[in-house]
Amino acid sequence: MARLEVENLHKRFGPVVAVNGVSFAVEGGEILVLLGPSGCGKTTILRCISGLERPDEGEIRLDGHSLVHLPPEKRDVGLVFQNYALFPHLTVEGNVAYGLRHGRHRTSRKERKKKVAELLALVGLSGYAQRKPHELSEGQKQRVALARALAVEPKVLLLDEPLSALDAALRRELRRELRRILKDRGTTAVYVTHDQEEALVLGDRVGIMREGGLEQVDRPEELYLRPKTPFVAEFLGQANVWPARLLRMEEGKAWVVLAGEVLKAEAFDVPKGEEALFFFRPEWVEIGSGPFVVEVQEAEFLGHHWEVRGVVRGLPVVLYVSELPHGPLSFQIVRGLLLNPQKAVTAEE
Amino acid sequence: MAEPVAKAFYRRLNLRRGASLAWASLPLSFLACAFFLPLANIFLLGVRADGQWTTAHLRAVLSDPYVRHLFSFTALQAFLSTLLSFVLGFPLGWFLTCYRFPGKGLIRAFTLAPFVLPPITVALGFFLFFGHTGYLNNALRSAFGLREPPLRLLYSLWAIVLAHAFYNAPVFARFIHAAWNAIDPALEEAPSVLGVPRLRAFFTVTLPLLLPAIFSAAALVFVLCFLSFAIPLSLGGARYATVEVGIYLYAQVYLDFSRAAALGMAQVFVTLGLAYFYVRAGGLWGGRQERLRPRSTQPFLSRPAHVLWIPWLLLSALLFIGPIGSVIADSFSRPLAGKPPGLGWYRAIFSREQSPFIGTSPLGSILVSLEVAGLSTLLALFLGLGGSGALRVLRSRVLEALLMAPIAVSSVVLGLALLLAFRRPPFAYLSDKFALVLAHGLMFYPFVVRIVRPIWEGLTPSWVEAARTLGAGRLRAFLTVEVPLLSQALLVAGAFCLALSLGEMTAAAMLSQGELVTLPLSIYRFLSARRFGAASAMATLLIVITVAAVAVWEWLGERTLRAYGQT
Repeated sequence: MARLEVENLHKRFGPVVAVNGVSFAVEGGEILVLLGPSGCGKTTILRCISGLERPDEGEIRLDGHSLVHLPPEKRDVGLVFQNYALFPHLTVEGNVAYGLRHGRHRTSRKERKKKVAELLALVGLSGYAQRKPHELSEGQKQRVALARALAVEPKVLLLDEPLSALDAALRRELRRELRRILKDRGTTAVYVTHDQEEALVLGDRVGIMREGGLEQVDRPEELYLRPKTPFVAEFLGQANVWPARLLRMEEGKAWVVLAGEVLKAEAFDVPKGEEALFFFRPEWVEIGSGPFVVEVQEAEFLGHHWEVRGVVRGLPVVLYVSELPHGPLSFQIVRGLLLNPQKAVTAEE
Repeated sequence: MAEPVAKAFYRRLNLRRGASLAWASLPLSFLACAFFLPLANIFLLGVRADGQWTTAHLRAVLSDPYVRHLFSFTALQAFLSTLLSFVLGFPLGWFLTCYRFPGKGLIRAFTLAPFVLPPITVALGFFLFFGHTGYLNNALRSAFGLREPPLRLLYSLWAIVLAHAFYNAPVFARFIHAAWNAIDPALEEAPSVLGVPRLRAFFTVTLPLLLPAIFSAAALVFVLCFLSFAIPLSLGGARYATVEVGIYLYAQVYLDFSRAAALGMAQVFVTLGLAYFYVRAGGLWGGRQERLRPRSTQPFLSRPAHVLWIPWLLLSALLFIGPIGSVIADSFSRPLAGKPPGLGWYRAIFSREQSPFIGTSPLGSILVSLEVAGLSTLLALFLGLGGSGALRVLRSRVLEALLMAPIAVSSVVLGLALLLAFRRPPFAYLSDKFALVLAHGLMFYPFVVRIVRPIWEGLTPSWVEAARTLGAGRLRAFLTVEVPLLSQALLVAGAFCLALSLGEMTAAAMLSQGELVTLPLSIYRFLSARRFGAASAMATLLIVITVAAVAVWEWLGERTLRAYGQT
C-alpha cells in the first residue's frame, strides 16, 4: 500500500491560476475525495499527479520517491477519466488488457486472459468481453474503465468524476460498489467530485477545494460538525452563519453576543478582535420556545421534515421542523461554532 | 470537470516544445530538400544568365507574342470552361437538392469522380465519342442518312471547353448542392407566405444565399482549368496550347530550360494570385445560417411538370456517360487484326512485347505505373501523417502555409523543378522513376493532410492520455491508439493517392525520359498513334481503379466520421 504526498502544488494556465499551493497526503489504502465546485482545479491536481500536466511548482511523492520528472507511463499511477476514454477500436477485453499488453509490466497472453476475466468478474461484466465500447451502457462503460485502470495494479488510483455521467440511482449503486472494490483491494485512491453526497459516502477523508486552494481536509463527519472556514460550513449541507461579537474565551469556549443574545460557542480558530461569525446547522436548535422568533418566508415539504426559510431580527435563517406551527415559530440554539471572519468567503461566489 | 482553460492544453500531445519542433521539422526538412530548393532553382534559372542577374529571360518571355497568346488563350478557355461548367452544373446541383429518386446516393458519390478520373481517359473518351468517326457522329449519320459527320468538335477551343465542363460541372454541382442543402427551408418558405411568386423568390432569396458557394466553385474551377494539361495537349494540339502545355513544350521538346523556367515563374505568380483570390473569396461570405429542420425533397416525377427535366437529364447523360462509356465499349469492340477482339486488347496490354508506339512494353508500362503509385502513396501517407502531426502540435499558420505550399504550384512547374534538380547530384544518382515518385508524393500529400488531419484532431485527447497512464510510452500510444483510429482515414487517403498517381500525366510527361512511360503516357502515345484499342483497354483499367477508389472513399469516408468523429 502506497503513500502519496502532494506538496505546495502550483499550476497556472496563462493568466489563470488553476492550482494554488495545494498540499495533502494520502495514506496507504486510504480514499481521499477532493470536493469542490466546477473549475476549482480538482481535475488539474489529478492531471499533475498522473503526469499529464506538468506542475509549475511543487512536489509529488509516491512512497517517498519524487514523481515530478517522470512521464505518465512510468509513474504507476492509474487514472479513470470522466468520459471513461475507452478505446473505441478495442473490445472490452482489449481495453482491460491494454496496459498488460502495452504497458510497463507486460504479461503473457494466457495470464492476460485470466486477469481480464478476473477483473470483469469483479466489476460484474463477465460475458461482455467481446463487446465494443459503443455497445455498452454508460454504467457498463464506467465499470470497464475501472477494470482497465485496476488491471495494471497502479500504486495509486485517481478517479476524475467517474460517476458524473450516470443517473442518480445508478450513481448511488455504483459508488457503494466502487468503495467496496477499492477497499477490498486496499487501493490508495484520490477521487474528484462535485457531488457532496458522493464525497461523504466514498471518502475516508474529504478535501474541500476553493479556487485552486484546499480549504480543509478531514473525515466527513468532522467537516460537517466542525468546519474550519465559513466556505466549508456553507458548502457542505445547510448552514446559518450570523455575525457575532466575541466577548471572552473561557475554558476553550467562547462567549458571544448574537443578535442581542449572549451565547456560548465552540471555538477552534479564535479571531483577533471582537468581530466573529457564529455558525449553526438547522438541526442544532430546539423548536418551540426560545429567544428567537422566525418571520417565515417560505416552507418546503421534504417528506421527513419541512425546510423553513425566514428572517430572525433581520438575519436570514434556515430551520427544519417536523410540522408547521400555527402560531409564531420560536427556537433556541443548542449548539454553535465560532468561525473566523478573516476567512469569510461564501460558497455562492 | 473540464476546466475551459485546461482544455486548450488537453489538445497538446504532452510533448515539450522542443520535441514538437523536432516532430515538425521532419516533414519540413523533407519539403525543403525536395520542393523548396528545386523550386528556388528554377526561379534562379529564370533570372540568371552566365553568372549574372538578369531579367532578360523574363522580358523575352513576357514580350514574346506567342507567350502572350498562351496566357490570353489559357485565360479565355478557363473562363469559357468555368461558364459552361456552371451552366451544366447548376441544374445538377438543383436536381440533387430538390428531388429524391433511386440511385441518388450513387450519383452524388460520382460527382467526386472528376477529382480522380484521369484526364487522359476523358480525352480519349472525347475522341471516341465526339470524334469525326466517333460513336455520336456515326449514330447521327446513320439516323439522318448523312455522308459527312455532322459534329466537327475536335481540335478546337470547344473540345477543350466541353471536356473541362465534363470535369468541372460536377464540382459546381457538389458545391451548390452542399450550400443549398444548408439553407434553412424556412428562408425559402418565407417569401411565399409574404406573397412573392416562386421565381422571384428564387432570385431574391435562394440565389443570393448560394452566391458564396458559386463564387468559391468558380474560383476553384477557373484555377483547375487554367492549369489543365492533358486535355489541351491531346484535344487542342499545338494551336490550342495552354501555358502548362507551353512550359512542357519548351522543356521537353525544345529543351529550352531558361524559357521554360521563366514561363513557369510567370505562371506561378498568376496562380498564386488566383489562389489568393480563392481564399479571400471563401472568407468574404463566411456566415452560416442555422437550419432548424432538414430540407424536404420531392419524389422525382411525382408531378407532371417534372417531365421537363427529362430532356436535360438525357443530354447530361449523353455528355457524362457517353465519353466514358465509349472508352469501355471500344476496348471490347474495336476489331483486332480484323476480328472481333473479345478480351484481345486486354491480352495485348498485358504483353511483355516491346511496342513501337509507346517505346516500351505495355505490361512494363503498367508495372512501372503501379510501382510509382505504390511508392508515392507511401511517401504521401508518411508526409501527410507527419504534416498533420506537426500541425496538430504547433498550430502555426506559417507552418500550415509552408506545408501546404506544394498544392499551390502547378504540376508542370513542379515537374520542371524536379527535372532540373535530377540532372545534378545528389539527385542525379537516382533514376527518373524516383523523381516521379517524389513529384507525386509532393503533389498528393496535401490531400492526405486534408483527410487525416480533421479526424486526428477530432480524436478525444484522453484516449492517448489513458494509454499513457496505463503504461504505454508516447510512441507506443501513437501506434496502438492513434494509428488504429486513423487507419480508415489513411486507407481512404491511400486509395485516393493511388488512383491520383496512376492517372497523373502532367508530372509524368515532364519527367519522362526513355523507359519511364506510365499508364497515362502510354494511353497518350497510343492515342497519338491512333491505336485506339490498346488505349481504350488501358484507359478502362484506369477507370475501374478510379471507380474503386471513389467507392472506398464514399464507403469508408462516412463510416470513419460516424464511428469516431463525434465521440
